[in-house]
Amino acid sequence: MPGEEIFYLSVSELAKRIESKKLSPVDLTQFYLDRSQKFGPRFNAYARLTPETALAQAKAAEKEIQRGHYRGPLHGIPYAAKDLLAVKGLPTTWGAKPFANQVFDYNATVIEHLNSVGAVMLGKASMIELAGGMGYRFATASLQGEAKNPWDTACWTCGSSSGSGAILAAGLAAFAIGTETWGSIICPSAFCGVTGLRPTYGRVSRYGAMALAPSMDKIGPMARSAEDCARIFAAIAGHDPRDRGTVPIDKGAFTYSPSMELRLRPLKVGWLTNAWKSLEPGVAKPVEAAARVVKKYFSSVKDAALPLGPWEEAGGIIVAVESAASFRQLIRSGRVSELNDPLGQIAGYVNEQYSAADYLQALKLREIVQKKMDSLFDTFDVIATAAQPVPATPLTMNLETELTFPDPLGGIGNICGLPAMSVPCGFTEKNLPVGLQFVGRAGDDFAVIQAGRTFQAHTDWHKRHPKIH
Amino acid sequence: MGNQSDLAISRREFARRAAFVSAVVSLAPSDLLQSESAANALPAQQPVNAPKLSPESQAEVQSRIQAIFAQYGTRLSDAQKADIRRLATEAQPPLDRLRAFATDNGDGPALYLKPLMEREKKSLPRPAAPKPPAAPKNS
Repeated sequence: MPGEEIFYLSVSELAKRIESKKLSPVDLTQFYLDRSQKFGPRFNAYARLTPETALAQAKAAEKEIQRGHYRGPLHGIPYAAKDLLAVKGLPTTWGAKPFANQVFDYNATVIEHLNSVGAVMLGKASMIELAGGMGYRFATASLQGEAKNPWDTACWTCGSSSGSGAILAAGLAAFAIGTETWGSIICPSAFCGVTGLRPTYGRVSRYGAMALAPSMDKIGPMARSAEDCARIFAAIAGHDPRDRGTVPIDKGAFTYSPSMELRLRPLKVGWLTNAWKSLEPGVAKPVEAAARVVKKYFSSVKDAALPLGPWEEAGGIIVAVESAASFRQLIRSGRVSELNDPLGQIAGYVNEQYSAADYLQALKLREIVQKKMDSLFDTFDVIATAAQPVPATPLTMNLETELTFPDPLGGIGNICGLPAMSVPCGFTEKNLPVGLQFVGRAGDDFAVIQAGRTFQAHTDWHKRHPKIH
Repeated sequence: MGNQSDLAISRREFARRAAFVSAVVSLAPSDLLQSESAANALPAQQPVNAPKLSPESQAEVQSRIQAIFAQYGTRLSDAQKADIRRLATEAQPPLDRLRAFATDNGDGPALYLKPLMEREKKSLPRPAAPKPPAAPKNS
């Protein structure tokens, strides 16, 4: 097996080596497969490795590249897909026992896009059951077991893209695809010390992805840098007539070139003063240091405040109602009792009770807060704060009773469909990663990517990784 | 970091939020009769640390619990029923706050999320038109 560093190279660096034929996609895939087979079970990172598919794709990529047909920066790059994305002929479990044997006969659009650029799927990443759509109390809420954080295996990766976070931090793939309805890309990225992009709602097709709350579900990349996220996002973004939630053709596609000059568009940053009630001391220190970096290297930084209102409540109701509808059959049949988590076994019954009038009131509030946030982005290009107020939590923690704090930015950002990026910005005294979050105006994914790139041009936190032996 | 309104939900991410949200259900009288008997068969003590609710909200919580037990009671253990009581009770304050937010009749619900994108909100700035050459002063 090669030295550990190769497993933590960015997509951009791997692509250079592959394009110049200094690195074989087949060798790279085999290295990652070997490492994933060895270390994946330690972290419960994968739902399933797919070595046959991966090696077939890698061989095809290598053949094409040898013939001079290089498709671009993801050609021959190994990745993991969250196990709620349909892959033709392979089990897609949604992380939940009732769907353990589910097999689709088609690919999700995201998988098709990645196939078309020649990326190599190593396997399906583990996840929280039903992406947490029925609620969960413990990290064990997964068919694959609790995802252990490679920085400290006594800690959790966060969810619901829990396996995607573990895979990236442990160097088991070059990138991963996660999804977020509320927090499921940003939180695992922060807890695992990787870079995650939650795109604007509708930029990436959900066709073939498990529906949780269809008006809030989003798919995005988790990778080693903002630049990598941009490259992956460029491959998967775009209108899809099979997902009526996608934005129109002229607003869907995303093009990216690393030659885009960072100073071309000076970013005005709003530093949020009311995003979190408080930060844990271990998190506060790196975030304060990150604030100094932002002040030094961004064109302007001023305090900003989120609008006050029951936006989180509105988001909670939207998720509850839509998830109860998405999993109606599971709830009504009683098969929710097969879920691992005690909360997941019963919460659907409560969520089913919402009235249409309350749901519509929540949607009215969504419209109101969308306009308020759009006004905020007349002043700022991005707003910034800690990605999470705490570092990775112990695996045994009861999330329901021991981890309680408001998350207005998560609520607002997700009900408004705003793009966000979490970038590593330091470590706690216990060597757990801390994330910084940038959020932008709907459709301005470029701004959050540019913010992440700018931050990473002046820091190296995203290059740190745990030692895996 | 400043303080967010204390009214905000004390929960971290949607996964758990999803568990705490619920609302009143309209019950037909016959349903109510059945559900009352179902609920009466259970210990009705208040969950520990239950939020303070108005009598109306308390009644709403009870009707919600009754509806759940009437429909699903036979498949739930006593522990699960107690959990559902707690969840339904904790779900009420967020619901009350949501309803208390003043909206107008004309406020449109975002029936299917359409992010407010820059180009929809405002027309794109037009590229500056090239300046015509200055006319000769004596023409």
